[in-house]
Amino acid sequence: MPKITIDNLSFAYPDTSTEALKEIQLTIEPGEFVAITGATGAGKSTLLRCINGIIPHFQPGTLQGAVYLETSAGRSAVGRVSTPHLARYIGSVFDDPEGQIVSPIVEEEIAFALENTGVDPTQMDERIQHALDDCGIAHLRQHPTNRLSGGQKQRVAIAAALALAPSILILDEPTSELDPDGTEAVLHVLSELHRQRGITVIIVEQKINLLAPLCDRLVLMDQGRIVLEGPPRQVLRQADVFTQLGIELPVPARLMHALVKEGALPPLDSPGAPPVPLTVDEAYTLSQALLTGS
Amino acid sequence: MDVFPAGHPLLQAQQLKHTFRTGRCALQSVNVTIHAGEMVAIIGRNGAGKTTLTKHFNGLLKPTAGTVLVGGQDTRRVSVAQLARTVSYVFQNPDHQIFHGRLFDEVAFGPRNLGLSGKELDQRVASALDAVNLAAYVDRDPAELSRGQRKRATIASVLAMKTPVLILDEPTSGQDYQESRQIMAILQQLHQQGHTILLITHDMELVQEQAQRVLVLGDGQLLLDGSPDELFRQASLLQIAGLRRPPIIDLQHRLEELGLTASVPTAESLAAALASRIQQGPSVHVDPTPGRNAACP
Repeated sequence: MPKITIDNLSFAYPDTSTEALKEIQLTIEPGEFVAITGATGAGKSTLLRCINGIIPHFQPGTLQGAVYLETSAGRSAVGRVSTPHLARYIGSVFDDPEGQIVSPIVEEEIAFALENTGVDPTQMDERIQHALDDCGIAHLRQHPTNRLSGGQKQRVAIAAALALAPSILILDEPTSELDPDGTEAVLHVLSELHRQRGITVIIVEQKINLLAPLCDRLVLMDQGRIVLEGPPRQVLRQADVFTQLGIELPVPARLMHALVKEGALPPLDSPGAPPVPLTVDEAYTLSQALLTGS
Repeated sequence: MDVFPAGHPLLQAQQLKHTFRTGRCALQSVNVTIHAGEMVAIIGRNGAGKTTLTKHFNGLLKPTAGTVLVGGQDTRRVSVAQLARTVSYVFQNPDHQIFHGRLFDEVAFGPRNLGLSGKELDQRVASALDAVNLAAYVDRDPAELSRGQRKRATIASVLAMKTPVLILDEPTSGQDYQESRQIMAILQQLHQQGHTILLITHDMELVQEQAQRVLVLGDGQLLLDGSPDELFRQASLLQIAGLRRPPIIDLQHRLEELGLTASVPTAESLAAALASRIQQGPSVHVDPTPGRNAACP
């Protein structure tokens, strides 16, 4: 289970004067669930590409600093690890469900990833079954991939990544093309993988209202920098940063900030302040407590 | 747009049925009339028939049975090119639409086909690109843009057409919060100018804030034709159609259990209502075990 250490990382794409990433400093512990958000051009996808090795292995540019994978065996910079080796540690899923599936049948799609990494055919059946089970799509094993819904396709993409038994899953806006059911199914799978299998999940998302209750850490990026990061309840206290960066503050947190403004709650940084609600249920409970005076 | 005065029945599907060559019935007997000047959201699961329905309104698909009228004309008897003067369309996937190597030419393609050229064409393209924040990329190859930018490029293409009807499939997908707001402000402005707008979307906040009328599709059938408010009060329908209430509506409905109301639900208005109730002192009417199941599907 590698820990990820990002040390003073800067990156500029070729023929550009501005850096897409500026002096990024971040440590991600094994088994952490990290959600990254920010406006277009903030550097979110570039950061993911530096972690999974697309930068520098496939995408040229000017890289300073490094991303390290640390295991008990030692630490190595992602740029110096061969890509087949990286693929065993890190699985990646992208935003376009159409663009990443290559096989006509679901099980062939999963097998494709296994074949590419030279997995023994006698092991394949079990690995495929496991990956499909973990994503809640075992019933789709013999399904044609072109008949799947967007949410099912994204779960197939996650299963294909999982079949390689990575300890880190990286996802770039995996729900942006999905309907509400598909979105919920995908996020549920991620949360289970994190909880039950201890997989490190690093996800870039706009839907912070859905991620805040699931993640251990929320990272806000702007113009290539990390502006704010920490446990979601802590990060959501800083409503002004959300406004500044043009990131939508989830409704439960907005209710709490509005209650402080109304004088119904003490300032959020004062000792007796209740924790910021992450869900509508928590916002309801807080409101009920205020009304009953408890 | 004088041709279609506000309230004029502009898009009509009558007993519309569509069966694909694979034998799958994508639409079964849909009846709906969209009037000039309406802003309508079309929602439902992936595969519910939303895109199939709207592709009948620009003539890309013809009914297997039933009739589709655009501006009173049967789409079977009008060419797609002819319909393009009335209805413009933004596809869900921008890469199914973009085919030029230079952004200017991509956006100019439609207006050129309308016979525009010279200064007028330049102006149309410039103001359309400006509206979606892509003016700086006018000479770039769309392939070099991000997916979100390419999506906005396709929105610029329909803005440049200035057709009476705009149909947009997931206009805000791949956009960040500010960009989504900006796109919705543009559409709101077009709506105020009298354009008829059809939005296919999964974004329930957008539905709640922008649409006057919602068409809910499920398995090729029209499950609801009503207001967003009507939709969000029907828990069973939301479940059947795979939809969710936006968090603010969810919160509003939950707080109604505590006797709190706000005519325009926002976090701020609900907080104000709560604060004023607290000032009146602790309530004795609060049910400690509220009907949670009634509010949460």
